[in-house]
Amino acid sequence: MDSDEEDFVFYGTPIESEEGLASRKKKAIAESSGQLRTLPAWKQEVRDEEGRRRFHGAFTGGYSAGYYNTVGSKEGWTPQTFRSSRKNRAEFKEQNILNFLDEDEKAELEGRFLGTSSQFDTFGFTAAEIARKQAEKEQKQRPSAIPGPAPDELVQPATESIGVKLLLKMGWRRGRSIKDSHADALYDARRQARRAFLAFSSDDPEVKTTESEQNEGDVETFLEQSMDDVQSSKSTAVYKKRSRLSSKGGPGYSKNLSTRDSLFGLKSGKSAPGFGIGALEELDAEDEDVYATGYEFVDTYVEEDEEPSMLRLEYQKKKDQKKDNDNLPGFRVASSTDYQMERFEAPPIPKDFVPRHSFSGPLEINHKKYDVPPPDIPPPEDSNLKILIEGVANLVARSGKLYEDISREKNQSNPLFSFLSGGTGHDYYARKLWEAQQKCKDQTKPLLDGKVSSDVKRLTAESRGQILGEKPLERSSKDPSSSVDSADVQLQFNLTDTFTKSEPFSELPDVEKPFKHDPAKQERFEQFLKDKYRGGLRSTKSSLSGDMSEAARARERLDFEAAAEAILKGNQGKESKLAIPSSMDFVAGGLMQFTSGAEEPKKDMQSEDLSQKKMYPRREEFQWRPSPLLCKRFDLVDPYMGKPAPAPRIRSKLDSLIFTSHSVKGTEIEEPVLAKNISHVQQSADQDITKSTAESETEGDVEVENIERPVDLYKAIFSDDSDDEGEDPNLKKVENREKKAEVANTALSRLIAGDFLESLGKELGLEVPPDMPYPSQKSKNAASQEENVNEHARTDTLKGEHNSEMPSDQDTVFKGGPSKSDYVNMLESGSAKTNATGINDSKSSKSNGESYKDDIKIKSHLPREQDHSSGSSSEEERKRKRSGKSSRDKHEEHRKSKTPSTHRRDYSSDSLSEEESSRKRSRHHRHRRRTESDSSSDNERDRRGSRSKERKKGSSREKSSRSRKHSKHHKHRRH
Amino acid sequence: MSVEDLPRKEVNVLKGHEGAVLAARFNTDGNYCLSCGKDRTIRLWNPHRGIHIKTYKSHGREVRDVHVTSDNSKLCSCGGDRQIFYWDVATGRVIRKFRGHDGEVNAVKFNEYSSVVVSAGYDQSLRAWDCRSHSTESIQIIDSFSDSVMSLCLTKTEIIGGSVDGTVRTFDIRIGRETSDNLGQPVNCISMSNDGNCILAGCLDSALRLLDRSTGELLQEYKGHTNKSFKLDCCLTNSDAHVTAGSEDGYIYFWDLVDASVVSRFRAHNSVLDRRK
Repeated sequence: MDSDEEDFVFYGTPIESEEGLASRKKKAIAESSGQLRTLPAWKQEVRDEEGRRRFHGAFTGGYSAGYYNTVGSKEGWTPQTFRSSRKNRAEFKEQNILNFLDEDEKAELEGRFLGTSSQFDTFGFTAAEIARKQAEKEQKQRPSAIPGPAPDELVQPATESIGVKLLLKMGWRRGRSIKDSHADALYDARRQARRAFLAFSSDDPEVKTTESEQNEGDVETFLEQSMDDVQSSKSTAVYKKRSRLSSKGGPGYSKNLSTRDSLFGLKSGKSAPGFGIGALEELDAEDEDVYATGYEFVDTYVEEDEEPSMLRLEYQKKKDQKKDNDNLPGFRVASSTDYQMERFEAPPIPKDFVPRHSFSGPLEINHKKYDVPPPDIPPPEDSNLKILIEGVANLVARSGKLYEDISREKNQSNPLFSFLSGGTGHDYYARKLWEAQQKCKDQTKPLLDGKVSSDVKRLTAESRGQILGEKPLERSSKDPSSSVDSADVQLQFNLTDTFTKSEPFSELPDVEKPFKHDPAKQERFEQFLKDKYRGGLRSTKSSLSGDMSEAARARERLDFEAAAEAILKGNQGKESKLAIPSSMDFVAGGLMQFTSGAEEPKKDMQSEDLSQKKMYPRREEFQWRPSPLLCKRFDLVDPYMGKPAPAPRIRSKLDSLIFTSHSVKGTEIEEPVLAKNISHVQQSADQDITKSTAESETEGDVEVENIERPVDLYKAIFSDDSDDEGEDPNLKKVENREKKAEVANTALSRLIAGDFLESLGKELGLEVPPDMPYPSQKSKNAASQEENVNEHARTDTLKGEHNSEMPSDQDTVFKGGPSKSDYVNMLESGSAKTNATGINDSKSSKSNGESYKDDIKIKSHLPREQDHSSGSSSEEERKRKRSGKSSRDKHEEHRKSKTPSTHRRDYSSDSLSEEESSRKRSRHHRHRRRTESDSSSDNERDRRGSRSKERKKGSSREKSSRSRKHSKHHKHRRH
Repeated sequence: MSVEDLPRKEVNVLKGHEGAVLAARFNTDGNYCLSCGKDRTIRLWNPHRGIHIKTYKSHGREVRDVHVTSDNSKLCSCGGDRQIFYWDVATGRVIRKFRGHDGEVNAVKFNEYSSVVVSAGYDQSLRAWDCRSHSTESIQIIDSFSDSVMSLCLTKTEIIGGSVDGTVRTFDIRIGRETSDNLGQPVNCISMSNDGNCILAGCLDSALRLLDRSTGELLQEYKGHTNKSFKLDCCLTNSDAHVTAGSEDGYIYFWDLVDASVVSRFRAHNSVLDRRK
């Protein structure tokens, strides 16, 4: 035999497992048949039906289960140390009996559970449970359209509950009501009402009639009884009608049917009256033919039934169906094929609908009041007041008159708000309010215009202009070349122009006319600009350039884009005249001379150039921290070698100016620290005085800021504040100290927030943090210099302003401190306004379009920014982005022209955001502060100061990225 | 170099790319030239003889920039696929791919020792990548820009980036200082003078601006060409006597460095051109 095998060449490996299995089985059979019974007991082996040994080990006690000869885990008895860290939590393995069972035993155990025996199963719970399990098992075997476990609603107990049995014994029959069915007048009435409603609500008279007709047959005859039946059965809890089965078939419904097939198909004989799913039910299907199909698959009932009148119809239908198609037993396709999935048109929006809520009473009055625009009044001298007024006016215009009333009420005693009730500056306020309202209206109207213009006459624009008391419109007849209705268009333009006084692109009226030579084109350009920045529907009407070809229009559009961009850039650099003609050049150079735009005044160019040269280039310096590895690779000595944390940079004015809102003032945390440190010393002595003085001192600022407060507050409340959680433990330890400082900051900011915030907080049920010690300004024993510093720090905090004097102040405060190096480091740029956070911020406010957008909601200065949020990378989007930026720059210029004191106020939004963040943090760590606050040694103060710098950077970064989570990640990476 | 010495005529046409060429770069000694383009390839040429030597294919999108080490052994390239490829010149294999940019990568450069690749991306960042280690993580991210970084220059100790946000930012590694020069116009391309004292920034308002690096002063502006929306390169001639840049109408312009007059211009390309030396 061996020699035989040698002659063969074998490919592959022989299948041995089967053989082994077979032999084992054989052995098992032999054993069971008693062949091995002759062996002594201690030689016998216990085997399962597949021939596997069941017991192993020294005393043959090792039970073959789980991990075969071990203790239920892979590791077995291998000694282990218990280890659990914050990141890797130790897992506690829960053992249950299933871990120790063989699969055959598991199978045995399956389905055995504690339950009420059917005898006592009054409400059918156990039966339902069994039915549910059954259904689940079936579903596992054949996956159905509905994923996941079968909903309870679908499965009903198969057995009859004792209640039903009792009722049956008492002579009750299915389909019969327990109470007198005819007495149920209430039900009749209700049904009538519902039908009436149905008829009323359905728009299509045909549908209505067909439906009702179709229903007529079975509903009338059959529904009454069946409904009663259901009612009665409800009382006995036999089966509950979970949802009604719609007789309507549809694409969705057929699926539904198949699902039920899988659930009930196998046990159709004993299936209980489950009902269809409500999810696919049509809204108005509620009342029609509800029970017609719901009952028919309950075979048991049909058998028992002795009342032919009830189900004759059903029988008939069923028979028909079975002829038609071999559907499921007990199911049928809907009889009425005239059903279509009803799709409802969106309800027609009333033409005068304004998509924003308006307060009914006061706002209307308001509108009327300002039908005639108030005279343009020079702003009050006090720039604070001016800003305040403008802010309030914007808010009021947005949120309605109610807001004005509220704020008037709240600030009755406040002299700053006297303009609300006719005091100083009221006229200016009125004017501003009117302007803001116009702007608001303008923003909503183009939306409507786009729609309405098609079917409503153009005259509406004119009449609207009249209503609004706009200046009379001049029809320009100087454009014979333009299309037919260009005059009309021009009209509209004039109208909108008058509305949008403060729109950025209309601020420089002569600049925005790059196509002066071609009025028609200029119009189109203006329209384009409006479409672009106003948001809303882009008008698809081609009437604007009716005589142009598609290609020409496309080209012109490109042209416009370029010009628009140039304008924006020009607004920024005051150089638009240069930019636009060259943009035209470009177009011309590319393919085709489209316009004669090249002939633009050259002298303008020169002058613009000069003005620009004055502004640019601007040089700024910041501190920057190269990574050690980069230094190594560049073969340079790390300038920060041995220094623990990246030194923060002082924010420069410029950055905060460009990116006005939501950028973070990193350095800000530091200043409260100073303030607090000093105040610590004096704290106990004159806390009360401090408080009162601080309050009185800050009040002026408070009022300015609290306009914008609510949004920040909401953020503070609702945004996730768990971002500090995942930090390195060692880092955290040090941070605690500075968090204390931040608590102080919080207190300050809370003061700043003013009564508006507080009241709002109370309304929202927020816990108002306990009062913190305030930096004492008017302390008696403070040295003059110290006081100076203190005051400075505080005012800075309050105003969120970081000017270049800061470094020197810090220097004085921290002189002699052990860890001065950081400061020196920071200051080594001399008087420079070195700033890390500035850069981060500037980046941030670009990158997080969302937060920027939020701000825009607050500040209405830049309404056009609103569509910059989504990060599409299309060219157009990009261009727009750029333009948005430039408008920001413009904004900045605007600010720069203000007095320094105004500057400070302008930063308020930034400081607010900072405060908000610190407040959040302080909520976390307030308790820590308590414990340590009394032990404020010099040393600690210094450390705190230095740590806060790091923290500062962190916090700025926290803001700087799109989402908090993301920023956390970011931070880690940087450290 | 006098005006007469300025290049005027086409020496060779390097044909082979199956799409727009986005960048062409000479190697350090000027004997070879690399081009990359929308056909997702990088091609190595001998421009003097007009021979196509090698094609490097691996990029998934257009290749926007390429740079070669001073010893001609390695390449780095970047492009629309957000990755930086580190190539072996001889074998044409990709040694490493650096991922991390969140947007298209506009420019790459090796540092002097060819140990670091610095890339500038649409994601507003400059990133430095280590070629020595096997890590593909960036060793430094500079994200102080507020718009797409279009171009960068490296010196021994500095990284200079020019961005659409209008700034030219110089990052001095040696002293840890960032210097930002805001030009007010989107900066398209930056190029350093050969003496290293000036930076030439091509702006998207069709002007080149020469900046003094130490003071940030605007030394000169060069105008006359068109550059509104494409990335066009600009540089100084080897003698620093002339400034040269491409124009979107296909001309190459030469300006006198000092008095900013257009010294020479010639038509080189049919539409938009990119780079010459």
